[in-house]
Amino acid sequence: MTGPRDLLGVLACAALLLQASPSAADAQETVKTVCAACHGADGNSTDPRYPKLAGMDQEYLMRQLKAFASGKRREETMSAIVAGIDPNDFSKLAGYYGKLKPAPGKVNDSRLAAKGKALYEDGNTDSGVPACTGCHQSDGQGNARFPRLAGQHQAYTLKQLNDYKSGRRATDPLMTTVGKRLTADEIKAVAEYVAGL
Amino acid sequence: MTRHWLGLPIATLACSLAIAGADASRTDWNAAYPEKTAVLGLHGDAGRGAEAFVICQGCHRVGALGRADGSYPRLAGQHASVLIKQLTDVRTGRRSNPKMLPFADHQVISIQEIADIAAYLQALPVPATQGQGAGNDLARGARLYRADCAVCHGAHGEGDADKFYPRVSGQHFKYLLRENQLIRDNKRRNANPEMIGAIKNYTDADIAAVADFMSRLPVEMVKQVP
Repeated sequence: MTGPRDLLGVLACAALLLQASPSAADAQETVKTVCAACHGADGNSTDPRYPKLAGMDQEYLMRQLKAFASGKRREETMSAIVAGIDPNDFSKLAGYYGKLKPAPGKVNDSRLAAKGKALYEDGNTDSGVPACTGCHQSDGQGNARFPRLAGQHQAYTLKQLNDYKSGRRATDPLMTTVGKRLTADEIKAVAEYVAGL
Repeated sequence: MTRHWLGLPIATLACSLAIAGADASRTDWNAAYPEKTAVLGLHGDAGRGAEAFVICQGCHRVGALGRADGSYPRLAGQHASVLIKQLTDVRTGRRSNPKMLPFADHQVISIQEIADIAAYLQALPVPATQGQGAGNDLARGARLYRADCAVCHGAHGEGDADKFYPRVSGQHFKYLLRENQLIRDNKRRNANPEMIGAIKNYTDADIAAVADFMSRLPVEMVKQVP
């Protein structure tokens, strides 16, 4: 049965949608004019310094945008760019990139990748590094809580792990612990492996 | 023999202090402290626990089956009370475990998540795939287990949830070996003094034999906790 209350609800939703649509257009514009230069319009950056964002979970990407904005995640260039984006657009930008189709990565050193696979699946029981599969799953597809790693550029994964190790990236206390326990060789190996997932 | 009139009350007081002291040393291992009491008072939800456990399974593995090399214990089928005590003991520094400490930190796991994880783990199946010892000294292991261990950990290694005594059946031999050594040598820090006393004269061979025996206790003899 339809009553005045339902009608009110419909009107409220319509108002929200109307309000949202210009913002969605802005988000598209932001992608084109701001994000695409580094991350690619299709979310598959070609420069390995910049992460591929295609297929990453919207919630995860939003958390990172907020972390850049708050300074919890430090990256001078990115922080400066994020400072110029309306935080109300974060959700749409994250949603845009999350829906794009991720392009596969490429393993350059299969022996190194094999070492990385062992670490990814088994961890290091001596140093207390957990298996990456525990959170990131064996296929590295990621979810809202843990980022997608599959197909990511080696250089980017490498830098993130090193940043956790040094404390420069402090978005997750668990990853800080993992980073500190990883050796430089292990970081290289696991970055090589996930590029091929 | 004359005795000062104050002698009796003083002696009584001294006695009660001594008894209180002895009691304290016996109960310190499981002393109530606010965080543990709080978690034990919460209702654990196994469904939420399965989600929260994700950050643990990089080490304790999927299904909480641990590793046969003893690096990480099995948690599947363990009593919720035991899991809550051990986890809160680790993160409050009562049990030494530097590897686990950062993963059990207050900014990583909430008290509700501890209760949820414990509820989830308690109900997990315990397959008979745990690591076992060499099997060459089982008669000694059986004798020691029956003499010193069964009184608390049960004839089938089922433990006692109400008393915070862990289930030992289905546990990996190498983990049992290491923890028994740590407890005997007073390095685990949160062990029951009665247990330290019971095994303080155990040789390494005694510990290996009894750990081997425990790792072979049939898991199906322990009824799944409801």
